[in-house]
Amino acid sequence: MKKLLLLTSLLLLAAAPFFGQIDLPLDKLLQSGTMEHQVFFELRLPRVLLAFLVGGILSLGGLVFQVVFRNPMSTPFTLGVASGATLFTAIAIIAGFSTFSPLFAFLGAMLTVIVLFAIAARFQNYDPTALLLVGIALSFFYSAALMVAFYLSTLQESYEIMRFTMGSLDVVGFNNIWLLGMVSGLLLGLVYHYRKAFQALLTSYEFAFLQGIHVKKLSYTLLFGVSVAVGVAVSMTGPIGFVGLIIPHILKTLYRVSADKLLWQSFFYGGIFLVLSDLIARNLGESDLPIGVVTSFVGAPFFIYLLLQRKS
Amino acid sequence: MPLTINNYADGILHGVSFEVQRGENLIILGANGVGKTTLAKVLCGLLPSDAVNIGGMIPSQTYSEERAKRINYIPAKMEVFDSYLSVAEFLSLSHFNQTISIDEALSKLNILHLKTHSCQTLSSGESQLVLTASALLHSAVYTLFDEPTANLDPTRMKMLFELLKNDTTLPSKIIITHNLDLAYRLGFDVLYLKEGRVAFHGSSEAFFDQTHLDALYGSSVQKVNNHVVVAL
Repeated sequence: MKKLLLLTSLLLLAAAPFFGQIDLPLDKLLQSGTMEHQVFFELRLPRVLLAFLVGGILSLGGLVFQVVFRNPMSTPFTLGVASGATLFTAIAIIAGFSTFSPLFAFLGAMLTVIVLFAIAARFQNYDPTALLLVGIALSFFYSAALMVAFYLSTLQESYEIMRFTMGSLDVVGFNNIWLLGMVSGLLLGLVYHYRKAFQALLTSYEFAFLQGIHVKKLSYTLLFGVSVAVGVAVSMTGPIGFVGLIIPHILKTLYRVSADKLLWQSFFYGGIFLVLSDLIARNLGESDLPIGVVTSFVGAPFFIYLLLQRKS
Repeated sequence: MPLTINNYADGILHGVSFEVQRGENLIILGANGVGKTTLAKVLCGLLPSDAVNIGGMIPSQTYSEERAKRINYIPAKMEVFDSYLSVAEFLSLSHFNQTISIDEALSKLNILHLKTHSCQTLSSGESQLVLTASALLHSAVYTLFDEPTANLDPTRMKMLFELLKNDTTLPSKIIITHNLDLAYRLGFDVLYLKEGRVAFHGSSEAFFDQTHLDALYGSSVQKVNNHVVVAL
């Protein structure tokens, strides 16, 4: 079952760039200079890689957040990183800097991370619940600010902001892919480096503390790492919901092993899930569906189905 | 490497001081809500305080395996977030003492059959035994047990008593309990907390002297055939 899934996924990953609105015959594809060649290497391939890397970051980020907060509802967006990015994108669009909106999105995400950890540093004790609540409060604040942005914007600007919140995997060339690949590598390396201590976090704060682990430092390091990686991802694609919530849960139900043994799988299948969602988005209708819509449409019913299966 | 607490005070405890030497055992007794668990958490560093010292180390300000090797606390209830973390994996997290294997520790508590079970599926009694196994594998110099027999059936309570009585793996055991017969039969020194203060700290014999018991509990605690019995 697991091997079959892996095999199917690898096939899907390899086949994904060949599907799209334009058919790409193999013979023309390998000839440089043709339109097909350009579409494949400048649009399709980067797009599949972007989907894979972003899906991987969101899914692994979700797994880490759920363990650090010991809360199965946490997602990489729980602390408000995505809302920060969205608000700053809106500001960029309204201020007439829409060409720089990815940079603004990244700044918004990072500012959120900095504000969060500055507040966390003022807590007397380590208190993940309080951090979670600060994140939720920040999200609400950003939502309100985004409403103001909508109110002040023209119709055209509103539409642009709206499109960002729906997520998009449009990409040309490999510049962003290299950056995202590096960020993914760093995130995987960070979590993998702390995997032994991460396993202790699967128990409780007290138990991990008694094994000599600096739970506060470890948790903040992991949350910081994930938030930066998610910030980079969101600045390129906009917030794509649900991946970070459901993929870790699906993998746990499927593999029936503890979360520390699902690090690579989380990244890989999170990536596969977004590649698959993007395939659906690109091929279903006349024009591309927003990716965030597809992940939720596919993910939510499947997630509920899994929860029902578990109960019986 | 003595364990000392010097004039510790908070909302519940008022000026608690005592010392335990390496190799000494201690029983902590006292009414519900008197602050026994709070005291244990202060001693192991879970509640920050610089009143505690273990051989020059303040537990709440130290983060290393060195602290873990000096003091450990076994709570009354097991807390595990992950649904699939197995007993063996749980135990491997605190496996500092390599002279004893996970199988040996489980066998000592007659729960080898639970090795591959998920921690979340254990009954409260089973999880208490798993926690005790983790204490053996951890083998800190000082191990605090918070009501280690609270959820055990009579057979397993007897087994755990024998284990605590005859164990040589753990240099110093500090046991919080409400089971007076367990406390009496173990014969360890007794620390009795009353209204947030140390009301008694001395030998088992002095504590379980019938006149002393009468003074503490009225006539409801009696010594019968060399056992301490609560008359209901």
